[in-house]
Amino acid sequence: MKTDAPISAIVSFWLLTALFVVGFAALAVRLKEEQVDFAADHLRDMDSQSFRQVQTTGLRGRIFDRRGIPLAVNRLSRSIIVNPEAYRAKKKGETTETLLMAAVSELVPVIGRAPSVGENGIRRHLRQALARPLVVWRDVSDEELARFSERSLDFPGFDCAADAERLYPQGSVAAHLIGRVGRDRFPLASGDEKMNFVDKELCGREGLELQYDDYLRGMPGRERLLVDARGFASSRSVVVEPRNGFDLKLTIDLQLQRVAERQLRGWKGACVALDPRDGAVRVLASAPTFDPNDCVPIFRTEVYERYAKDPDKPLLNRATAGTYAPGSTYKPITALAGLRTGHSASEAYECIGAYEIGEMRIRCTRTWGHGELDLAHALRESCNPYFCALGVSSGTNAMVAVSRMFALGARTGIDFPTDAAGVVPDAAWKAAHSADPKWRLGDLAQMSIGQGQLLVTPLQMARVAAALGTGVMAVPHLNASLSPSLAPLPVPADHLAAVRRGMRLVVDGGTGKLAGEGVDAHVIGKTGTAQVGMGANLRKNTWFIAYAEPTATSRTQEPLAVAMIVENGESGGGTTAPMVAAVLRAFYNGEDER
Amino acid sequence: MKKFLLRFNWISFLSTLALVAIGALVLASAGAARDSAVMAAKWKEMLWTAAFGLVLYFVLAFVDYRTVLNWLSVPSYMFSLILLVAVLAVGTAKFGGRRWLWFFQPSEISKLCIIAFLAQLFGGGEERFRGQYGFRGLLVAAVAAGVPCMLILLEPDLGTALTLIPAVLVMLLSAGVWRKGLVALLAVGCIGVAALLGAVHEAERPGVSPERRAAILRYVPLRSHQVSRVKTFLFPETDQMDSGYNLRQATMTIGSGGLMGKGYRRGESIRRRLLPPMGIMNDFIFCVWAEEMGYLKGSLVLLALFALLSVSTAWTAVVASDGRGRLVALGMATLVFAHVYVNIGMSIGLVPITGLPLPFLSLGRTFLVTVLCGLGLVQSVSLHREEKQ
Repeated sequence: MKTDAPISAIVSFWLLTALFVVGFAALAVRLKEEQVDFAADHLRDMDSQSFRQVQTTGLRGRIFDRRGIPLAVNRLSRSIIVNPEAYRAKKKGETTETLLMAAVSELVPVIGRAPSVGENGIRRHLRQALARPLVVWRDVSDEELARFSERSLDFPGFDCAADAERLYPQGSVAAHLIGRVGRDRFPLASGDEKMNFVDKELCGREGLELQYDDYLRGMPGRERLLVDARGFASSRSVVVEPRNGFDLKLTIDLQLQRVAERQLRGWKGACVALDPRDGAVRVLASAPTFDPNDCVPIFRTEVYERYAKDPDKPLLNRATAGTYAPGSTYKPITALAGLRTGHSASEAYECIGAYEIGEMRIRCTRTWGHGELDLAHALRESCNPYFCALGVSSGTNAMVAVSRMFALGARTGIDFPTDAAGVVPDAAWKAAHSADPKWRLGDLAQMSIGQGQLLVTPLQMARVAAALGTGVMAVPHLNASLSPSLAPLPVPADHLAAVRRGMRLVVDGGTGKLAGEGVDAHVIGKTGTAQVGMGANLRKNTWFIAYAEPTATSRTQEPLAVAMIVENGESGGGTTAPMVAAVLRAFYNGEDER
Repeated sequence: MKKFLLRFNWISFLSTLALVAIGALVLASAGAARDSAVMAAKWKEMLWTAAFGLVLYFVLAFVDYRTVLNWLSVPSYMFSLILLVAVLAVGTAKFGGRRWLWFFQPSEISKLCIIAFLAQLFGGGEERFRGQYGFRGLLVAAVAAGVPCMLILLEPDLGTALTLIPAVLVMLLSAGVWRKGLVALLAVGCIGVAALLGAVHEAERPGVSPERRAAILRYVPLRSHQVSRVKTFLFPETDQMDSGYNLRQATMTIGSGGLMGKGYRRGESIRRRLLPPMGIMNDFIFCVWAEEMGYLKGSLVLLALFALLSVSTAWTAVVASDGRGRLVALGMATLVFAHVYVNIGMSIGLVPITGLPLPFLSLGRTFLVTVLCGLGLVQSVSLHREEKQ
């Protein structure tokens, strides 16, 4: 075997140097690629890895009645939070999850109640929002907080945080009107920078909280968190401060609202009162009611189920979403249709206790008949045959046209989420919606006395009362800063005067005489007793609509239009009229009904 | 004295000093970014170690290397074998390997011991062995380098074992040990590595069924973490959590430094824990330097210093009086180069991720002292040369 001669030193050196040069050149070229060519990409990657954008929330705006009495405010809610960074795993076999869970379960006996977040919630938080504090106990009481403070030094990372929760200081008063809130995330659609975390914020679910949600919610803020590679936050900087929501001032008269709700207590029904001059809603009450504080901080399923399964439907806002047959409160409209088609207010009609058309027989409240009546007295006595005859004689077109002048069968345009349109039936409607598609004179006769397929909401009827009193149709509104939207009622003044004369008689000793009792105001009105159901299920929904103008001695100089309905009442005059009187007395006499 | 000044390898010495200074600077910056007083003081510790290493450097430089090799190469080699066995028996495990014996790492020391031993064997130091570098020479070399390598692989410390291979190969090639056999062995090694890479590529390529993957990997003599590192090397874009993550973070850190860097002590990678805190001051220390100083002032300056050091060390082989001096110089130059190339190359995807220190910059006192001793020995070769006529 031949022995190789050693390579000479100089050749070894040059060969090796060549290898070094190639190696160092490869490193230099690769480093140039990363540090010069792709430097911008790497910097951007590093930033996106290092910063997290957080969308923060401002304080939700408050809601006040017309006098500044708070209906919805924010209260301080203290939570016990934990910063996961304090539970960074340090030893082998530890995880942040186990460390944090152990600390939480150690704290449970100190606080004295189970945490608001479950194990899965903790896990999810650590997975998705490691950089953010985790709320462990939401809405703690002062005692719980005191117990925590005594021991807080033993629990690093745990802290007390202040947050805002919604508070409805009036409890169940005006609950349907205010509505309720929930919590949700609203990532801003615009903006070039993606949000990594969006805080849950209060948001309207129903009522005014929903209607004015954007206005009340304000503008979210932005924070930047500096995070490490594991996702723990190391520092925080506010980029944009959140802007608090605007306060909302309502047209509602809370005192009057209370009176109306008190009147309705124990009943199912609704009451709406408007300023007839501009449509400002003073009362929007629905019974039975609920406590919106039950949905704070969360609307628990069992509480919601209890409300939802209640046969009295406390969550239904009967004032704007409840549709009822208007009954005799519709008769002023029939009267205007008659006057429009050439009938005279002084024209006499003989009531014989019933009205017959085809096979239909509509009975009068006074079975033996009212005898001869003019328009004013027919309204005073609420004579069914008179208005059946007048309506049939006026014809469907006139009836529908006048109903539409009062904006029945259409949404009122109120600034409120629920605004039922109701139904003004005619031949086309019946053909589309009824099993018996033919529009008969009997349907027209029923409609003339506010029965049949006709459906209205209490809000619509309050508007009818207001328009009858002023001759102006105003769009009802709840937000005090909205400018009124008015339109003249296209009805001749003498027609309106004739109807008002009859409505005055209703209160002056007529069917609704209880409505004016002790009220320091000029009140006109109309009763209504709508029959619904058949046989054993026959029930009466009793109405009263009123328009009042102040006297010289009244406490206030504002007119007021009221519509009130009570389900399963006795009669409009007997059941509902006294309730309306109580509302009017509270408004004009300054009586404290509370 | 004039002779000393002329013979002293100033380029090698000054680049060594510059690298020691850079090491202290970068460790001071990296240590300060970690909220730990111990880590913040590491740079001082490394400076003291470097001072100690430099004392040994000069001692070795002034003593004739032939004396050193005659007296110490065989005993130190044997001693390092004992230490390597001892570390397997009673060593301390840190970061997934049993590498520590008391306060030092025997595998680092053994790098120099193997180089010195092979130089003594094949540089004409051993009378009995001279002129017998044929097949028997290769066999002897294989045993001499192979036994410590096997022991190091058992720790396991694949990186150290791998960096020894080029140094040993360069020394044997230069010494003229049965070149045909060596080249054949090298070819077989290359084919083996290629086959290994091919097998891992075939097993880890997207869309391979788990059964097929397991079947292929059964024949691949690598541990699972090694397979995943090779996979990251082959498919850097596949987002694995462990080694792929480290590679991505390391490349991002280096790249984010840009041309001019973020400024000394302004690096963000440690403060934000973008790189594993365990590795940042050891295997990934280059990232800190490259991020803070940039391409021009950081990467290129460092590469230039290492190039100066490697080439000037290799140049000593040209002026060396005998084969032993030549082999020591070539071995040390290759060892330094291999460490630099693998350490920097792994953070930019040129080499699979492996735990290997960057000379002078990485924390690690044993390796620092070892490298300084080796360079001192090379300096001795330069000082104790006979002028050629």
